[in-house]
Order: sequence, then C-alpha cells, then structure tokens
Amino acid sequence: MTPIWSGLSIGAVYALIALGYNVVFIAYTTFNFAHAQLTMFAIFVTYWGLVVAELPVALIFVVAAVGVGLIALVEEFVAIRPVRGAHAHLVTTLGMATLLDGTTRLIWGDQALKVPAVGSGATFTLLGGRISVPEVVLILSVVGITVAMTVYSRRSLTGLALLAMAEDREAALLRGINVRRLALGAFVFTGVLAGLTGPLVGPKTFAVSTLAAALALKGFVALAIGGFGSLPGALLGGFVVGLVESLTGRWLGSQLPTVMVFVVLLLILMLKPTGLFGTTRERMV
Amino acid sequence: MTLARQLRALPSWVLPLTLGVLLVGAPWLGVSSDTRRLLLLTCILALLASGLNLSFGYAGELALGQVAMYATGAYLAGYLAMHWVNDLVLLLLVAAAAALAVGLVSGIPGLRLGGWSLAMTSFFLVLLVPQLLDLLEHYTGGAVGMVGIPRARLLGAELSSLDMYVVVTVVTVGWFAVMRNLITSRHGVAFQVLRESPILASSLGISVYRMKLTAYAISAIPAGIAGALFAFVDKYLAPHSFGFTLAVTVLAASILGGARSVYGPLVGAAVMQYGPLRSTEFEQYAQVVYGAFLILAGTLVANGLAGLANRAVARLSARWRPAPDTAAPPEATPVGPEPGRPALPTLSGARLAVTDVRKRFGGLQALRGVTLTAEPGQITALIGPNGSGKTTLLNVICGYYRIDSGTIHLGDTDITGRGTHDVARAGIARTFQTPLFPEHVTVREAVAAGAYASRYVGMPAAILRLPRYRRAAAADRAEVDNVLRLVGAAGLADATAASLPLGTRRLLEVARALVARPRVLLLDEVASGLDEDEIERLADLIRAIRAAGTTVILVEHNFRLVLDLADVIHVLAQGELIASGTASEIENHPRVLSEYLGVRQEVRP
Repeated sequence: MTPIWSGLSIGAVYALIALGYNVVFIAYTTFNFAHAQLTMFAIFVTYWGLVVAELPVALIFVVAAVGVGLIALVEEFVAIRPVRGAHAHLVTTLGMATLLDGTTRLIWGDQALKVPAVGSGATFTLLGGRISVPEVVLILSVVGITVAMTVYSRRSLTGLALLAMAEDREAALLRGINVRRLALGAFVFTGVLAGLTGPLVGPKTFAVSTLAAALALKGFVALAIGGFGSLPGALLGGFVVGLVESLTGRWLGSQLPTVMVFVVLLLILMLKPTGLFGTTRERMV
Repeated sequence: MTLARQLRALPSWVLPLTLGVLLVGAPWLGVSSDTRRLLLLTCILALLASGLNLSFGYAGELALGQVAMYATGAYLAGYLAMHWVNDLVLLLLVAAAAALAVGLVSGIPGLRLGGWSLAMTSFFLVLLVPQLLDLLEHYTGGAVGMVGIPRARLLGAELSSLDMYVVVTVVTVGWFAVMRNLITSRHGVAFQVLRESPILASSLGISVYRMKLTAYAISAIPAGIAGALFAFVDKYLAPHSFGFTLAVTVLAASILGGARSVYGPLVGAAVMQYGPLRSTEFEQYAQVVYGAFLILAGTLVANGLAGLANRAVARLSARWRPAPDTAAPPEATPVGPEPGRPALPTLSGARLAVTDVRKRFGGLQALRGVTLTAEPGQITALIGPNGSGKTTLLNVICGYYRIDSGTIHLGDTDITGRGTHDVARAGIARTFQTPLFPEHVTVREAVAAGAYASRYVGMPAAILRLPRYRRAAAADRAEVDNVLRLVGAAGLADATAASLPLGTRRLLEVARALVARPRVLLLDEVASGLDEDEIERLADLIRAIRAAGTTVILVEHNFRLVLDLADVIHVLAQGELIASGTASEIENHPRVLSEYLGVRQEVRP
C-alpha cells in the first residue's frame, strides 16, 4: 500500500502541472513549456522562506503566489504575446523554461535541498501503507483544486467565456469578451496556482534545479493520458503516471520508472492519441 | 556592376561548393590545429542542426530528438569499433540506420496526435538518454563513459587526426549537398506547403502524417552520422555530452543560422563554436543565455542570419539591376487569357456519385441524405443559401469530414471514408473559398505543387538528381507554363504567390488543381470577390475545362454565372436537395424562388 500512497501523492504533483498546461491550452490553444519551471520556482521560494528567511507560513504562500504570478505575467508579455502559432510558442516558452532553469541554478546551485513541511511532517499508517501528513494534504488539495476548477469553468460566466474563447477566439471577441485580458488572466492564474501549491509540493519533491524538466515531461504524459483540455483527465492522468512510476520502482527496480512512463506515453499515443477524455475536433476548411 | 551580374548568373551551387572545397582543404591553407578542431566541431554541430532544420524549419515539427539519435550513433559506432568491426564506412551506415530506427520509433507515436506531442516525446527521449546509458552500463560504460575507442579505419588504413578532419568535412559537404538537392526539388515546396497549411497539403495528395514522419526520420540520418564521427574525434564518450543542453545548443544554432535555410546551420554552428561554446565560464551561464536567446530569436528574428542574408542580397540585386524584368509590378501584368490560348490536355473525367450522405455536427444535421451525381464533361452546380451544406458536402467528398452514413463513389471506386490525401490521389482536386498559398513560394512552385502526388518522384531520385527527376522537373516546367498561359498568368511565374491580388490567386488555385490532371474538379465559390472582367475570364476557363473532359462541380453564389455555365444544377437547403435540373428548370422552380432567391431582382434586374 505504501507505493500506492506515494504514487498518488507524486501523481498529484504531475496532475498540478497538467492542470497548468490545460488552462494555458484552453486560453491560448498553445503549450507553455515553462509551466513546470513556475512550480519549481515556487518550491525554491518556499525553501528560501522556510529555511533561509524563516518567514511565517502564511507570508510564504503570499510571497510564492505573488512572485510566481509576476513571473507568469512577464512570460506572457515576452514569450506568448509577441508571437503567434503553437510552434513559435514552443520555441519561446522553451526559452523561458531554459532561462528559469539557468536562473534557479545560478541562485541556488545544483544540490537538492530538503524543503520542510509547512505544517506537521508526521507520517502514519493508512489502510496498511505509510503516508505523511503533507502527502495527504497534497492529494486532497489537488483533488479539491480540480473539482473547483471544473465546476468554475462550467458554471461561472468567466469559465464559460474561457471555454467559448478556446472554441472560437473571434466569435468570443464578437460576443464582447475581452479575449486578451481574459487570456492574460488565465495565464497569470496558472502562475499564482503554481505559487500557492509550491509549498505543498516542496516536501515531496525537494528543491533541485533539474526538477522542472522531470515534472514537465510527466505532467505532459498526464495530459496526454487525460486528453488535452480536460481538467478531470489531467487529474486522472497525473495519478496514473504517479502510480506507474512508483509501482515500477517498487517491483522492477529503481532505474526503470522514467523509462516505463515513456513507454506508457508511447502506448497512449499509439492506442488512443486523444487521451481518455479528449475529443477530436473536426477540421474546418 | 558587370561583375555582380556575372556572379548572379552563376549556378546557385557554385559558391557553396567552393566554400566546401576550402573547408576540406583548410589544413593545407595554413589553418592551426586549434582552428581545425573548431571547424570539425562546427561540422558536427551543423549536421545536427541541419537535421533539425529539416523537421522544424521545413516540415514544421519542433523535434529535439536529434541528440538521442546522435548518442545512438556515437555509442553504437564506439562499441562496434572496439569489439566487432572497425570500418568507418560501415560504421557510418550502421549509425545512420540505427538513428533512423530511433527516429521512426519516437516519431510514429509522437506524430499521431500532432501539435506538440512530437516536441514533448522527443524532449522526453533526450532526457532519457543518460538513464538509458546508465541502464546499459555494461556496453556504454555508464557514468564513467566509453573509454578506449580506437582510431577509425577506412578500407583497412588507420586514420590520423588530419585524415579524420578530411573525412568529417567531406561527409558534411556531402550531407549539405543532399539537403540542398532535396530542398530545391519539389519536395522542398511540399514541405513548405505542409508547414503552412496541412489542409492544403492533404488536398494536394500529400499525407501529412507520412510526410512529417519522413522529414523527422530523414533528420535522424545526419544526427546518427555526426554521432559516429564524434566518437572517433575524441575517442571518448561521456553521458554529459548528450544532455538537454546540447539539444538547446542545436536549436539555438538552427534558429541563429535560419531554421528555414539549407546552409544556415553551418553559419549558426560556426558562431556557436567560435563564440559561447569556446569559453569554459560559459557553461555556468549557458542556460540563461540560451533561454534569453530563444525568446529573443523566437520573437524578433525572422529566419535567422540566412533570412538577413537573403534580404540583403535581394535588396542589393534590386539596386544593381533595376531592370524591367524584376521591377514590373505584378498588377501591371495583364491577367487573363491571351489570344491564341494553349489548349488543355485531354482530361479523363470520372463520374462522381454521392448516395444518401448524412453528416451531423453535434446538434446540427448538416446533410440529411443528399444524393447526386456529377457526370464527366459536364458542369454540375451546387447552389443554396448560406449554411445549407454546400461546403460541407465538398468537404465530405474530399474526406475532410467523416460521414455518418451514405457512400461516395468516384467512377467505380468507393472512396467513402478515405483520407483526404487518398481522395486527392484518386483524382479529386479542389479550390478553396479562401485561396491557400504558402508564403515565400513563387507562383511557379505553388502551381507545380499540384503535380507533387499525381506524378510523384521519390526523394532519392530528387537528391541524386537522377534522369527520372530531371525529366519530371522539365515536364513540370512545361506543364506549369502551359497552364499559367491558360489562366493568363504567364508573366507572373516568378512572383510570390501569396502577395498577388485575390482574383489572380483564385485563378492560380484553378491552375494548381489543373496541374494535378484531376478527374473531378471541385470549385468552391471560385467567383466570389472577382470583378466582372475576371468573372468573364473565369467562365471561359471553366468552359475550357469542361471541354477537356473533367467532371466539374461548382459551388457558387453568383446565380447568373451558374445559370450561364451549369449543365445540371442542384439546390441545397438545410442539408437537403430541394431541386435538381437544368438552368431553365431551376430558374423557374417555385421552391428555389422562395427559399433561395427570395429577392427576385437578383435574377431579373
């Protein structure tokens, strides 16, 4: 049972990344390569806040949310707004990702830093497996965030406007939706979300400058499994990836998990390229 | 000025070949051994970047997998040389084949979803490289690296480091010749069509998936070869040479030199090797610099140094020879059939039969059981109010949409449910409501693209410039000239297609469709936005096409043009056929008058 809990909790992290990809996908029909870097940055900010500056916990959340939200804002202005087309965005957001990776490394170095839990770090036995309090909080928060975002996108006017925008940008514009501002809002939201969840993720992943690359890939696999644009799909996909990884590590050896996740990605792309909850949109001429 | 003109008159391969010879001969021109090494590393990086250009710049798929293929080539060559056989030619072939296999295995799933999945799959592959090397520690030496690679042997003779330099440069020159021949052939134009409009590509009979896969797979070959060469340059391989940083370096070299250029990667790679990669302190700041560079290059620089050079050359040559042949503005050239218009070749039309076709989009039943046939040598018109399903029907015929029920036959062949490129190859050509032309492509190239699939010449033939390729290219040229004269655009052959006025582009779309020698020609609102004169010319052209024997299907709002041209008219309303018949029958059909025309003035002004 322990590998399952640990798989679910790391899976929750991947789900968070996939959710971030999804929001940008809905708002811009593009892919933000640098989203995992935003989460990584939030984790480093948490480390700095807890260990170096010894700030109060509430303040750490605020600092991380505002700081990473600002980075997202800057990213939108320099890497998303000036260019058009998904492939052009891939280059610029990959640039942003690399830039953030490099900056993190210059500031905090190459070593993995242990991030303490913001609350209790105790572990206990649940259904025959060991799990820690931060892990439980992480899993529950991510499930809660997914539910909240799903409901919000279907019920609130803003959410519906976002979906309308994803469907047809020009039609949304004609309906009086301020497409640019809404999209910018969604983009900054992904940054704020990454900032707010950083302190929850940190104890699970540690703070290390290579973290983002790993998170980016597994988040992408989660997205591919769940289907582009589907929020519940992202959650499910994240859990699947986490479980595959942790069970492979437990039963097949510690060198194989990443290879196994890659195999899962290839299988999904071959067998069901639209993912479990994805839909194909028919092409228009 | 005379010198400049003479320079411009030289074939385009002379200058690169001269530079290539200089590169190979550099050691005898007094180049130091340090510089020699830099040139060598430049060649290897350029091979990698050139592969990326093919898949990213030309086929439009950002794929970072070159590093994985490079590693495959390097380790395989190193291992084989140590334990099995040490012959450079053989090893280069094996490395290229292995890299190709890696490209196919990662490309097939990666391209299934389209969009970013190839980028992510290949990115994943690159991050797996160190892990896989570790997993195969027994063969690769794991984190320690592969030590003890011997000097390469060529036909039994051991190669000195000077020999190795010559081999690397000759291989590089050879690859760039391959690349140049591929890109300047019709395949190069096909790649551009593919990148800018997959919809157009498939309507020309190009399988988007297969073409992208081909580009990605071919791009593996230089990477594998570069790997094998690299193994013998340092005779030592370590996992850290094959990391993500290298992937970004390759991307930076490609974008810096110009992703959509043949020789750009050489320049980009040279700048990278001479500049940042030489300083040891750079490593620390590499990511920050690359990151900033990618953002800048992605937002500001259009096609890198090659783009700048092209623009400079264009400007200079415009200044040097303000000759009438380039200075004449396209508008001034008379567009329209010339006297003594060339005849169309006989086109064997085929009967198109659509039987009980239904198509639903969510809650909207776009087609409710449409049945119609179109006969060869006739013009079958399809009219109806906006949203009545005319364009949907065309898209269904072309295979853009999958139908819910019904069948579509072309002659005796059932083409129901076939992919768009398959339908196009079966002989259905079309024009689009908004003419589709890739940017930076001349009229001649754009129109010739119509023949790409219908008279296909393989890539090997194009690369080696075999007689078959030369014959096809000459035939293309003659046919395009003929068709351009036919639509009256002969003077525009060298203009940029996308920059021409709408009316001309519509005629060029018809020309492109004709070059494919279609059995069925679908014209989607081909007259909209044209002035009276242009419509007159278009009508003449369509009649000529009918006379040539093709089945013509005309979707059109211009009722008078339809009455004028059509042999049979079908009227659609809300996804159903409400009337079919000849022009005079339709003109007086009560349901047509009430549901479609409404305003009578349009018919009898």
